[in-house]
Amino acid sequence: MAGQDPKEVRKYLQQSHDRIFENNRKWAKEHVEKNPEFFNELSAGQEPDYLWIGCSDSRIPAEAITGLGPGEMFIHRNIANLVCNTDLNVMSVVNYAVRHLKVKHIIVCGHYGCGGVKAAISPKDMGLLNPWLRNIRDVYRLHETELDAIKDEEKRYDRLVELNVVEQCRNIIKTAAVQQSYKKNEFPIVHGWVFGFKDGLLKDLEIGFEDMLKGIQKIYDLSTE
Amino acid sequence: MASSAADAIERIVAGNRVYAQKTTEQDPNAFADLSKGQWPEILWIGCADSRVPETTICNCKPGDIFVHRNIANCVHAHDNNTAAVVQYAVGALGVKKVIVCGHTRCGGAQHSLNDHDLGETLNTWLHPMRELRRKHKAELDNLPDDDARAVRIAELNVIQSLDVLKQHPAVTKAINDRGLTLHGMIFDITNGQLRLLEESGGRRANVGLWSPS
Repeated sequence: MAGQDPKEVRKYLQQSHDRIFENNRKWAKEHVEKNPEFFNELSAGQEPDYLWIGCSDSRIPAEAITGLGPGEMFIHRNIANLVCNTDLNVMSVVNYAVRHLKVKHIIVCGHYGCGGVKAAISPKDMGLLNPWLRNIRDVYRLHETELDAIKDEEKRYDRLVELNVVEQCRNIIKTAAVQQSYKKNEFPIVHGWVFGFKDGLLKDLEIGFEDMLKGIQKIYDLSTE
Repeated sequence: MASSAADAIERIVAGNRVYAQKTTEQDPNAFADLSKGQWPEILWIGCADSRVPETTICNCKPGDIFVHRNIANCVHAHDNNTAAVVQYAVGALGVKKVIVCGHTRCGGAQHSLNDHDLGETLNTWLHPMRELRRKHKAELDNLPDDDARAVRIAELNVIQSLDVLKQHPAVTKAINDRGLTLHGMIFDITNGQLRLLEESGGRRANVGLWSPS
């Protein structure tokens, strides 16, 4: 935008800004026409069945790609759908979703072609992004033998996207909130999925929740309050 | 709500198949185009609340809005998670606007009206919002009820989050170099409408900040 007439820039920004409000009014009107009680029902509260932990990538709006409406899915999105043990942000989301909203399913959803994963495997200093992306480099180190055996670069990168999802599922299962709720209620169940742009479909990585839970509890057992 | 755990998963898997099919029917090249990359104009920092799905309520399409959602749409100064999102969206993708959107009936805002124990994790996350309540006690006490107080806390939290964002190095640079703008909004769950927060700079004469007339 540098070098353009400031008036033109301002006009352009104004238009795209207004578009959001126009779109929103249109959306609200359509819902009231279909169901006059729609927003009254929504105001009463939320009881979502799902917690979605996905990537911030603009191409993957969780509710739209799963066909869900407002009120059905609690959502956290960050760079490369990471669940870090020391991150108060994601831990607050997991805590609230599991202990207060009592969600039945937690879905960690990555996607092929993830810019965060790609950035993490480039040999480059990325400043403020370093501490965040380090977690993905650690996933690589955990699965170094398997990944290095994949000769095709694109396929290796796709596999890292999948393994990153599996490790983030494991990180969620390591939390006290999930272990204690599952012991008491038999939910939530954690799922690992990957979204593919080539066909718009979700792929289930079939992480095997119960076995994974048993596997980590030798060391990470926090199920006793 | 789904009747059993397995049904709930089947439902969204089926929902995804319908999405993929409809998208392709409307535009056979849709997924080929999406595969090429993303050029979103907007970074949206919103609440994790299931009732505020940004792309749906703004009637936007996949590819339009880069998204971070957390409990009560907070931007805390030392939060690496949000900082990484902002760095990537503003520094690498070059979004043109950053929106922080709070909402009415927000659980985080309601819980900030008192000091009830929500567990150590959530208590710590919401601490800055509860501090806002203490700081603005006189104003909040004058409001008619807790619904109104929760809305006001949500607004104050959006304004505070914008202030924190302005200190982010990528944001400071983008404001100076290419006119990035920041906007505070509230989504009203009772009528489905977005409202621009004037206090966040809406009608001031600063270049690039405005509100729809």
